[in-house]
Parts: sequence; C-alpha cells; structure tokens
Amino acid sequence: MKAIEAHGLGKRFDSVVALDGVDLELESGEFFGLFGPNGAGKTTLLRILTGQLTPSAGVAKVLGIDPAKEPLKVKAAIGIVPEVESPPSYLTATEYLYFVGRVRDVANLQQAIDRWITFFDLEGARGTICRDLSKGTRQKLMLAAAFLHGPDLLFLDEPFINLDPIYQRRLKDFLLEYNAQGHTVFMCSHLLEIAEKLCDQVAIIDGGRLIARGSVAELRKEDKDLEAAFLRLVGERR
Amino acid sequence: MSYLLRLMLKEEFRMHARYSSPRMFLAFPVFVFLFSLAIGLTSRRILEATPLNEAILFLHVSAFLYGLGVGAFGFLGAQYVERRHGSRNYIVTMPSLLPMSFRRTFLGMYVRDALFYILLVLVPMVLGLLASVPFTGFRPASIGFLFLASLVSFLLGMSLSFFVSTLYMRSRLAFLLGTGLITAAFAGYALFRLIPIESILPGLAMHYGLPPFSAPGAPALLAGLAGAGVIAACVAGALVLVQDQYEPRSMPAREELPKVDARLGLARAYRILLAKEFVDLKRSGTIAKMFFSFVTPLILLSFTAWLVRYGFRVPVGFNSVFYGAMVGFFGVLLYNWLNNVDAMDHYETLPLGVPQVIRSKLLAFLILTTGISSVFVVGVSALNGDLRLLWLAFPVMLITSVYMVVMTAYLTGLRTNSFLFNPGVLAQFSVMAMLPDLGLTILSFTVDRDPVFTMAGIALVLVVLAAATVFLYRGIDGKWSHASFAE
Repeated sequence: MKAIEAHGLGKRFDSVVALDGVDLELESGEFFGLFGPNGAGKTTLLRILTGQLTPSAGVAKVLGIDPAKEPLKVKAAIGIVPEVESPPSYLTATEYLYFVGRVRDVANLQQAIDRWITFFDLEGARGTICRDLSKGTRQKLMLAAAFLHGPDLLFLDEPFINLDPIYQRRLKDFLLEYNAQGHTVFMCSHLLEIAEKLCDQVAIIDGGRLIARGSVAELRKEDKDLEAAFLRLVGERR
Repeated sequence: MSYLLRLMLKEEFRMHARYSSPRMFLAFPVFVFLFSLAIGLTSRRILEATPLNEAILFLHVSAFLYGLGVGAFGFLGAQYVERRHGSRNYIVTMPSLLPMSFRRTFLGMYVRDALFYILLVLVPMVLGLLASVPFTGFRPASIGFLFLASLVSFLLGMSLSFFVSTLYMRSRLAFLLGTGLITAAFAGYALFRLIPIESILPGLAMHYGLPPFSAPGAPALLAGLAGAGVIAACVAGALVLVQDQYEPRSMPAREELPKVDARLGLARAYRILLAKEFVDLKRSGTIAKMFFSFVTPLILLSFTAWLVRYGFRVPVGFNSVFYGAMVGFFGVLLYNWLNNVDAMDHYETLPLGVPQVIRSKLLAFLILTTGISSVFVVGVSALNGDLRLLWLAFPVMLITSVYMVVMTAYLTGLRTNSFLFNPGVLAQFSVMAMLPDLGLTILSFTVDRDPVFTMAGIALVLVVLAAATVFLYRGIDGKWSHASFAE
C-alpha cells in the first residue's frame, strides 16, 4: 500500500511559487528524507501533505485520504512535528500531552504520557508551563505529542533541531525501531549526516521542484557522502 | 529612529492588511471619511437635539477613550516579546537579538501607534468634516481647531495607557494605584462634580477656548501647553519605567487540566477544549482583563444613563429591558479577549478545525458572562426600582448576547481584532449589530406607553435574532473549516 501519493502538487503564495508540480510516491514502511536549500519548498510540501495547507494545484493522498478534502481525518491518522516548536504557553508539559491525548482519544492515556515523559526525561518539566521551558525541552515535548497515539506515519520537520547529542541519539534509535516495525517516516532536514544513516529513500527539492529522487546509494553515485551529492545536485542548478 | 519608525509602520500596515488585502484595509479610512461626512451633513439636526458644547464633550471623551484603547496595545509589547519563539516575530522583540534598546523600540511603538491611528481615523474624520463645508458652512479654521484639540485628547489617552502599562510591568500595586487615580479623577467629575471635566481633559479646555466657542487666546494656549506637558510627562515616565531587559516571569503551576476536564462533562465533545480555555484564562491573567473590560463598559453605561436621566434631566425611560439589550452588545469585547490569550499554531498539528475551537470559545463566553450579565441586569434594575420588567429583560439579554457573539464569531473567526479593521467586515458587523440593538432600545422606551405593541415588537426581534443565531452558528463550519490557526 502507498503511504503517500502526490501528483502535480503546486502552491502559490501571491506571486511566489513555493511548489511547482511535485510528483511523489512513498511505500508503507519507508524512511523518506526530503532535503533542499532554504526556501526550497520542503515545509510547504509537508504542510500540504498533512492537511495544514491547501494546494493551488494537484492532488495528494496520505494513507488513502485526501488531505485537502479531509484534513482532520489525515491529522488524526498521522503524527506531526512542526518546524517551530510551539506548544501552548500556559499548559505544563504533562498537561499538554494530556490535552493532545484527549483530542486524539488515546487509549491508556496516563500510561502513554508516562512513557514519553520518561523517554524524553521530562519529569522535571511536569510543573512548568511550556512558555518557561527551554527550546530543547519544547522540542522534546512536540516530539512526544506526535508519538503519543502511535501513528503509522510520522511527518517530521527538522526533528533533531535543538536536541542535545544524547537525545539526538535516543531519537535516532527510536525512529529506526519505529521504522523497523513497518511504520513510515517522512522527514525534512538539513542534517544530512544524520539523515544518511536513517533514510532508505531520499529526495532533493529546489525552487519548488523535486530535482532528484532515489535511495541514498543512487543519489550518492560517485560522491563520498550525501552532503557532497546534495551540493553537486543543487550546485548544478545555480 | 526614522528608519525604525518607517519599518514599524510598514509592519503594522502589513499585519492588518494580511487579514483582508491592502486595498480593503485602505478602504477603512474611506469608511471613516464617509461616516464623518454624513455626520457633518446631518449636523444641523444633531445639534438641535444635542447642544454643540455637549457634542464636543462627547467627541473629546471618545477621543480620550479611543487613545486609551490604542495605548492599551502597549500591554501587548510584553506578549510580543514572550511570543518571540513563535512563528511570527515583531520588530519590538529585536532588542533581544540586536544591539538596540527596548526603550527605543518601545518609544517607536508609541510613535508608530500614534501616527498609524491618527492617519487611520482622526485625519479621515477631519477630512470628512472639511468635505461637508460647502453644505454646512462650517469654518475650516474651526475644523482645524477641532483636529488639534481632539488630537490632544487622543494622545493624552494613549500616553496614559502607555504609562500605566509600564507601571503594570513593574508593580501590580503601582498599576492599581495609577488606574485608581485616573478613575477617581473621572468619578470626581461624573459623580460629585468636584473637578471640572476641562481640568481632566486639557484638549477639551483648549477646544472651549477656541472658535466657535471663543476667540483664540491665552486660555486655549495654556490648556494646549498643559495637555502637551502631561502627554510628554507620561511618555517620559513610561520610558523611564520600562525595563530594558524584559524577562517574562516564570510561573510554577500545578496540574489542573485533567481536573477541570473531569468537571466539564456536560460540554461533551468540547470538554477538553473548554478545559484548556479555562486553564489558559486563569494562568495568563486574561480572566482579570476580561472582567474589567466587561464590567467597565457596563458601569459606564449605567453612569451615562444616570447622567442623561438625572444630570441632563432628559426624561428617557431606561428600564431593565434596555440594559438587557445593551449587555449583549458588550459581549463582543470578551469574545475578542478569548482570541488573544495565546498563539494557536500548535492546533495545526492536531485533528482540530477552526470551527471546533470557535465553538469552544463561544461556550466559554456563555459560561463566563451569563452570571455577570444576569447580576448586572438584576442589580441595575433593583437600583432603579424597576424589577417589574425583569421577566422580559432576561430573554432579551440572553438572546442578544448569544446573537452578538455568534455573529462576531461568524464574521471574524479567531481574529476579531484584525478583521474588524476590514471595512467589508466592519460594515456587515455594524449593520448586524446596530439594527437589532437600535430596534430593541427604541422598543424598550415605549414599554409603558404601548405595552402590547412593545411586547409584540420585542418578541418579533427576538425570534428574528434567534433564527439568525442558528443560521450563523451553522454557517461557522462552511466559512471557517479551511481557515488556518497560524497567525
């Protein structure tokens, strides 16, 4: 089954073309990485696929659901970590997870909350409202909120940003295990070194168009690593 | 400062224009111009009912209150700073990153707001009056004096608000003392006539010293200088008091959400959203701001009615039905507060739509206001010895309140403040709010003269409002289901 299908996806913001005819297919169980320069259209594509933005052109299906027509259904089925960590200012860390769990109707909610509080070591944040948490702790909280309901498909926008090396490692291990269980991951990142170790399928987007797509090995060709391949592919267009 | 000011003005314009379009936003001053022109053209009749000096008093009180409202945005400075990690950022937060002082951006914010709102409202208002000159025979010089004097009242309100906002940042006690003093000055005039209103509003004193009231002379000049002095002192005081290093106070909190959630079983599908609303309101301190912004106009309304009846000795029958209708009107302010508690970007990642959140805010509004509104209507009726019409005042209050807030939610979604600057939305809002309110007010005055006609009229208005409420409530889904939570 296809986890994601997109055909001719386009998005304009007034005169700016953010996305231009993107075609993309992802099989279930893939770990997919999307890379590109700043302003290339990564976040716009992720936001369209997760029902946060309506495309100006084209169609998409996520887990068989059209995110433009049924955004709430898509959001219920997936987990999203947004680009900016912005949990509600006046709830504590555990209250936010409780809120997310209630909105998502998570079974055994307290157990799920405790699991992620322990996993991200958020015990100390229980009595602190999100406004007063550090950026890294807020990022951990957004990750925990996305994982809480055990979705089959995760959309992660720069998930490693603001995390210290300990939690980067912990998150990497979790994502690999999650993927090994047959779940799908769609990740946007600038951290090519990490992405190279995690992703089995990657694509590069530039100027709103996918300019390369394949396995890490296919994109690297004769380059020494993914970073070199990225610089070559994007550099050729400059 | 000039480049900073230019950038801040651009930022303010773009922020407002984002909710409609630059063209629609620029139509707002045109709307004010046309409204002012209409006032000018009908001024002869207006002045037959209200003497010129009272109309000018009303203008200055309005300009002062308007300034207070604009200056209250100074309070938002702190909120902008706190939201610096959100998806939107403002120039006022730049001192945390760049070698510039917060005092400088704070002053920039004051000058920006002064210029922005003078250009948006005061200038088109004066131009509207000037355009009426060929038909009214007003002297352009008098209109020029009106502009200058009302500018003093507007800037006084704004400066006071800015000053008081810095007191609020420093000490809650000093803030209460400051607002208490301002309130006491107005109460000294309004209740006991201890202080002449001209000494509280130097702009008004200046106006009374200029044509058409008297020939320009020393009293007007002195009043103008006094006004400018108070404005400068307030701005200087605010700049001295404002903290250059802004640090939000950290707030320890106990877990409350699950308990509040458990208590709200009746709210069913909206239970958790409603619980979050209440926790947010309490912890952000918005509940106190909401309380004052609801109760203050109610007190002002009671005072105005009292002044008209006993001060001006105008025999208008302000009864409990009138108060019931008016209470509904002020609910809009509270709905606006509910939308300004916190950024809502995080909802984007959850299976929640804008209409669901609007409905939870409507529920919060009803729960928060019904009690206060009822107490107010009963209290003011008891004070006026007019409890006999309470049975009618209650349905009027309930239906107008629900209608007003649902209509506002339908028109403005979760961005009430911004959408009301869109002339199209503002025109719809004005018609949909004023027509029923005017109808109910007029009907409330005739209740003793022709009870059968009045009851039938009020019943008809309430049925129409109830039907409109249902229609608009259902329409929220269609209108806002594709809207984004992101600012």
